[in-house]
Amino acid sequence: MKFILSFVITISLIYALNRSWVIEGNRIPPLGKFLDPTQGFWQSAESSDVKIDDAIQLPGLKGKVTIVYDSLLIPHIFAENDDDLYLAQGYITAMHRLWQMEIQILSTSGRLSSILGPGKDSVLLNRDRNQRRLGLMFAAKNALKSIEQDSVTIKMLRQYTKGVNHYIHSLQYKHLPLEYKLMDYEPEDWSPLKCAILIKSMAQTLNMGDKDIQMTNVLHLFGADIVELLYPDNEPGADPIVDNAGGWSFSPVKIDSTPFALPNEIIKVAQLNTPDPTIGSNNWAVSGTKTASQAPILCNDPHLDIYLPSIWYAVQLHAPGINTIGVSLPGAPNVVIGFNDSIAWGITNAQRDLIDWYKITFNDESKSQYLLDSTWQVVKREIEKIEVRDHEPFYDTVLYTHWGPIPYDEHYNARSNKSNYAFRWVSHDESNEILTFYKLNRARNHEDYMKALNHFNAPAQNFAFASVSGDIAIRIQGKFPVRRKYEGKFALDGSRSTNGWQAFIPFEQNVMIKNPERGFISSANQYPADPTYPYYITATNFECYRNRRINDVLRNASEITIQDMMNLQNDNFNLKAYESLPLFLSHLDSTRLDTSQLNAFNILKSWDYFNNVDSKGAVYYEAWWDNLMPMIWDEMDRGDTALYIPTTFNTIKLIREHPELSFFDFKKTPEKETAHDLLKLAFELAVEDVEKWKEDQKQPTAEWGNYKDTYIHHLANLEPFSYHVLHGGNHDIINASGRIHGPSWRMIVSLERNIKAFGVYPGGQSGNPGSKYYNNMLDRWTHGQYYPLEFLHKPDDLAGKMLGVCTFNTQ
Amino acid sequence: MKFIFQILVIALLAYLFELVFPWWSIALAAAIGGYWLRSGKSFLAGFLAISILWAFIAWRIDANNPTHLTDQVATLFHINKSSLTGLTALIGGLTGGFAAMTGAYLRKKKRRHY
Repeated sequence: MKFILSFVITISLIYALNRSWVIEGNRIPPLGKFLDPTQGFWQSAESSDVKIDDAIQLPGLKGKVTIVYDSLLIPHIFAENDDDLYLAQGYITAMHRLWQMEIQILSTSGRLSSILGPGKDSVLLNRDRNQRRLGLMFAAKNALKSIEQDSVTIKMLRQYTKGVNHYIHSLQYKHLPLEYKLMDYEPEDWSPLKCAILIKSMAQTLNMGDKDIQMTNVLHLFGADIVELLYPDNEPGADPIVDNAGGWSFSPVKIDSTPFALPNEIIKVAQLNTPDPTIGSNNWAVSGTKTASQAPILCNDPHLDIYLPSIWYAVQLHAPGINTIGVSLPGAPNVVIGFNDSIAWGITNAQRDLIDWYKITFNDESKSQYLLDSTWQVVKREIEKIEVRDHEPFYDTVLYTHWGPIPYDEHYNARSNKSNYAFRWVSHDESNEILTFYKLNRARNHEDYMKALNHFNAPAQNFAFASVSGDIAIRIQGKFPVRRKYEGKFALDGSRSTNGWQAFIPFEQNVMIKNPERGFISSANQYPADPTYPYYITATNFECYRNRRINDVLRNASEITIQDMMNLQNDNFNLKAYESLPLFLSHLDSTRLDTSQLNAFNILKSWDYFNNVDSKGAVYYEAWWDNLMPMIWDEMDRGDTALYIPTTFNTIKLIREHPELSFFDFKKTPEKETAHDLLKLAFELAVEDVEKWKEDQKQPTAEWGNYKDTYIHHLANLEPFSYHVLHGGNHDIINASGRIHGPSWRMIVSLERNIKAFGVYPGGQSGNPGSKYYNNMLDRWTHGQYYPLEFLHKPDDLAGKMLGVCTFNTQ
Repeated sequence: MKFIFQILVIALLAYLFELVFPWWSIALAAAIGGYWLRSGKSFLAGFLAISILWAFIAWRIDANNPTHLTDQVATLFHINKSSLTGLTALIGGLTGGFAAMTGAYLRKKKRRHY
């Protein structure tokens, strides 16, 4: 009896400790498994001297692969052929970043619920539905179709996949990344489709900006004049990426001149997910005529969400015909931003509007057919099965027209079931961007760079270029529809095919320039071209400040050194404040301020317009602005009717030029306010906010770095694995470090005969929070410092300075 | 003496088993130790053997790790690092204790049959 009792207790205990439990919505990992120091989470605590395997047996290799790790744990992969090179890249990337690779794919393809459950109030399930309804998998599958048509790309993806899967299959529970143990699940096999999903994840981050539905509502609520006044396509805040006035010598494509038709209604959908307008990137290249070394210098800092494990993974790829180094996206082969011994390239986002919404006219409630040019077309129904952990699967039906999927209907997010809109996104089309990077990695000159870019459709990017032979260039590359004026700014009537995209701008007519007279090229997400460029251009927003600051500095610079470029990437000058603060301050009457307001006023008056870590003026300016914006645009918050807030630049312009505009009336108060009243009110609230912050934080003064509190969060928002840093800058500033996003990679390449290059990112090569390489670069990033990038020509180049060498062999 | 010997054998077996098998193989090790070396205090022997083994390995791993991983994981559980090590020892200890006791009772039961 005692035996049976004791036996039952033991078995029950083991069972209970071997599975996870959800208590009050939180998943408790299997405690026995998780806490076991020989196999559980403790195994993620790497020892200080990192152990690098001397040799790994990998089936399927054709030759030998040597991997040299430098002091930052950056792998320098030396292979004897391309197949081995990409297999090794897959294996090594998975070794350091497996959990991140997979969670990005699960998130993009709408499968998070399968490992995390539906979430509180079904928030995760709804997120998954949103991804499915926007057709992210539809996009990835289309991309894979064109990848499969190109033997080079598909072979490369298969090798990369093979490498990732060799690694996954070599794992026991003991070796799993910490996050798998915490959330109690296991990695699935990798596939070429997952590489395609990763590309679409970037496309969603960068090219899913549009405000068509919002603009349609603004048009119906406020009229065409207000659209023109509040949302101009081209603002005077841009020094265009290419100013080639009168030099566009091609004959542009003409399309059907039938005017397009708009739906005549206010579109009732909940506020849509619009991308953060303050996200962006910088790149520039200066020619040898402007540098001290007489060689071109290329710089790039893409601004993205900054999280851990870092979005980028640095790697060098060496094989016959290729020797390149830079950063890669964990989950896809090649170097995405980097250089080789002949050229360097960098990328920023092109912003352009590549989305349209089409109103669908259905036959009846069954929604089985829709009207197109007076014929009835069949509506396709895709059934999405969403696995939900510990629950029954959720089934969602998504309707597809030839335009694309219908994301919002009576079953999801729409506030009215009368009308449905189809979603046309350029990234749904077949394309093979991976081939661009394959070719860029091997490019020897400007001509090769141009050929490589011809494969790049989406997400449209500004590709900066510089070569050892002395060329600099920039090209805005993507698949851009030829648009009639205002086309793409509003939702369109989907019953007429002439409202669709009829032609695309031929690639050779995209905005581009080589070796401009001014001696530099640059881009910072601003308006792309001068007004003589013969195509209509629109976007959710274009950048208005960083671009002018960069160009001002570069225009006036000569004898430029690498250090100058480092300084420029870390420049905290707030051009927006420089242009607007004197105007704002002129609305305050210093004799009517209380003590703390007067203190703020004086700090602002003597501020030098730099958002440095210790700046006090920046605190008050930004707090003022953050109070002002929502107060001015309170009219744009209407619950079930999506509207859009005008840009920062245009808001300041309106304050200056139209202070009596009706939008300056603050709806909450009975009085009628003007810009003057709002500025005063926002100032008072800002001072209150800062005073309250000082009290809460027990700080005698408020300094910008502390007040802004840049936060490098863990990808699954696990607070203990996240870090707060004191860092200057902000959106609209070259050092575009906001609270949770900013320069995700800073790179500077001097294209001398022996290339000198520097880089840093806010994290580290290892995705494991228990490794000292999880965030070892964060400190230098925070302080605006860099690491020299070790560009090797053979494995022994790094003798004495490396962490270790590993060889891959097939038995 | 037998008690100490029992602790050592269980700890050694558990260590060896875990090189190959999952964490619950500690129960097997403790049950074997309980069965062959029944000391009369088998639960305590199993408990001490595994809790000391696990606490020692955990401590050694943590001492060699330059990051704050253990503190961070402890924070996830809303406890501190020593409590996390304590919890580790407790979980292993309980499993080891009950398994050792089960092993001991098994032997007692069998004897009656002969």
